[in-house]
Amino acid sequence: MIKITNITKRFPTVTALENISFTINKQEFFGLLGPNGAGKTTLMNLLVGYFDADKGEIEIAGERVSRDTLQTRKNIGLVPQSLALYDDISAEENLKIFGSFYHIDKNVLSDRIKEKLESVQLYDRRKEKVKTFSGGMKRRLNMIASLLHDPPLILCDEPTVGIDPQSRNAIFDYLTLLNQQGKTIVYTTHYMEEAERLCNRIAIIDHGKIIAEGSLDKLLERLHYDDTISIIKNQTTIANLHIIKSFGDLIDVNEHFELKPKQGFLLSEFYSMLEKHNIGYKFIETKRPSLESLFLHLTGRRLRD
Amino acid sequence: MKTIYKLIVKEYKLLLSDRLGMMLTFIIPLALIFIWGLVFGKIGSGSQKLRLAFVNLSDAPISSKIESALDSSKTLVLLKSYQDETGKRIKFDTTSVQDYVKRGRVSAALVIPVDAYTDTSSGLKLKFYYDPKNDFEMQLMQGVLQQTIMSEIPDLFLQGMQRQSIKYLGTDSGKAFNDAITGVIEKYFSNDKKLSQIPSVSDTSNLSLTKNKDENNFFQNILQIDNVQLVGQDIANPWATRSVGGWAMMFLLFTLTATSSSLLDEKKSGVILRILASPISRVQILWSKYLFNMSLGFIQLSVLFLGGALMYKINIFSNIFNLALIISAAATACTAFGMLLAAVSRTAAQANGLGMFLILSMSSIGGAWFPTAFMPDFIQTISKGTIVYWAMDGIQQVLWRGVGTGEIVPNIAILLGMAMLITSVSIWQFKKGHVF
Repeated sequence: MIKITNITKRFPTVTALENISFTINKQEFFGLLGPNGAGKTTLMNLLVGYFDADKGEIEIAGERVSRDTLQTRKNIGLVPQSLALYDDISAEENLKIFGSFYHIDKNVLSDRIKEKLESVQLYDRRKEKVKTFSGGMKRRLNMIASLLHDPPLILCDEPTVGIDPQSRNAIFDYLTLLNQQGKTIVYTTHYMEEAERLCNRIAIIDHGKIIAEGSLDKLLERLHYDDTISIIKNQTTIANLHIIKSFGDLIDVNEHFELKPKQGFLLSEFYSMLEKHNIGYKFIETKRPSLESLFLHLTGRRLRD
Repeated sequence: MKTIYKLIVKEYKLLLSDRLGMMLTFIIPLALIFIWGLVFGKIGSGSQKLRLAFVNLSDAPISSKIESALDSSKTLVLLKSYQDETGKRIKFDTTSVQDYVKRGRVSAALVIPVDAYTDTSSGLKLKFYYDPKNDFEMQLMQGVLQQTIMSEIPDLFLQGMQRQSIKYLGTDSGKAFNDAITGVIEKYFSNDKKLSQIPSVSDTSNLSLTKNKDENNFFQNILQIDNVQLVGQDIANPWATRSVGGWAMMFLLFTLTATSSSLLDEKKSGVILRILASPISRVQILWSKYLFNMSLGFIQLSVLFLGGALMYKINIFSNIFNLALIISAAATACTAFGMLLAAVSRTAAQANGLGMFLILSMSSIGGAWFPTAFMPDFIQTISKGTIVYWAMDGIQQVLWRGVGTGEIVPNIAILLGMAMLITSVSIWQFKKGHVF
């Protein structure tokens, strides 16, 4: 569906993307995970042809994407990161305006507006001005405003920033449903939980480069351990660091340490050590490996640093 | 108190960090005060000369004296000839000078007729042709004329008084009256008979520059100026007809600056990105903005003129086609101006701040608030580079003078030319990518 080859994009003060290449298959739910400023939005803007890359090529459904090609955009629905809505008119009027850009038959558009509003529980509020909506309602409206032309490819650029869990779940459920109906979805986020929950395949991006890519399981295989042990920093744990380190690699992460157990690690031995040195269990937490751990492993930084 | 002090310090810190706020608070007002000082500072100081077309058909020595006095006036510039279509200079006559006023080349003309002052005249007769498109200019011109003429012809009062006393009292009685008056003045005021018989210049305040006054009024008979209004006689509300163009233009510029800068709001909110993610090109977005603004400008001007017609009886319907032409051209030029502001600004607030400065400057220099005739020469030259000047001039030609399409073609051409030039700069700026 999407083929990205050697893409580089520079801005006057920063290189946003550097020699990026990957493909996204049809009907995939593809996650692009990375911290703020990693280059996710730049990549989304390149995919819709908002601007051209300095180097490289993007193809969507076999057609090359550029600033001047309008045809490919008919197949794309971009859910922008910002709330790209007109505040002073109603939700329904907003949808009519944005739907009209795709020359959809008036009756078809009217039916789709009704269907989309119902699917995100906004139909009852359709006549109200957008400025009276909560942040979550605006986010939901922002999403369906991009889907009125029923595009086979949906690009979601951090569509859940700053919203309540109810609205977030409504967006997740609707996107999952669309994916099940055959839509290809590209989803950028800096929340690893979102990527883990939604995406079949994930690319991790940092400083404009793809540092890892694959299915969740395949990505987590790159961590050569199963669990991570989080140890809260205090006088006792700091005093016994040399002993703790003998159980694996220890990384200093702000208020706590993370222990990546070495091969042959036995949890029973570890707990015996804690008991012997009077380190309370309450300072210890065992965590399953996650994309967060992988990011930390790959970059030495936490995802949200 | 300490808390209030801290809050005040916070306000100043925020203001100092807000470049636009600082500009609106200090830089723009200072710049406008400087410009308005240049524009209005010399008004009324007499440093600006008023143009007066002039024809002298009289052989009387007094007429030469008046011509010479007017020639040396610090307030007036006498125009005694005009350029015909071939570029040849032709001296004014009674007909051509009236035509010159009617066509709006000057606001007034003074004609000294053949019979201005003969051996039997009891006073001086002059013809004053005028176009009252600008009340203030006309009042100033009449005042200057009156003062210049009266102060330059003191002998005329003596002769006039003697002739009138003889006319009304008969030769003997008149002569006796003159001698008696001379004697009284000589006895009580001065030994200089001639001077004591001449009214002072300040007495001329009773000399009205209108005809059809009391024929027996001595002072009126001494200087008879026949005023003839050549333009706008049928206009019901001259003040409103003259002013509507300037105000309408100013509000149009404000409106179109705001609507154009909505592009920057749309960019900020992400709507532009949403639109560009659909099968719509940048060119289409710009065209839609241009056409919307032009049509809005046309509608706004139409509503304002219609309002003027209803409220102040401004006659817009007798020349409606030409009015539509000139307001279309004005709306096009103002749209281009608004789009340029959007193209060079980074935020809507910046565009509106810059717009306010330019609109107020252009309106003052262009003559929307005050006639350009009173402004210094270099400001008058600059004013011809403004949209407001050419739009106002065109509107005034249509509403005040009732001219045909041919007469406003230069205004339309200049406005459209300005629009094209400004649009070229805007497109160049848009391509640089501040908005898109």
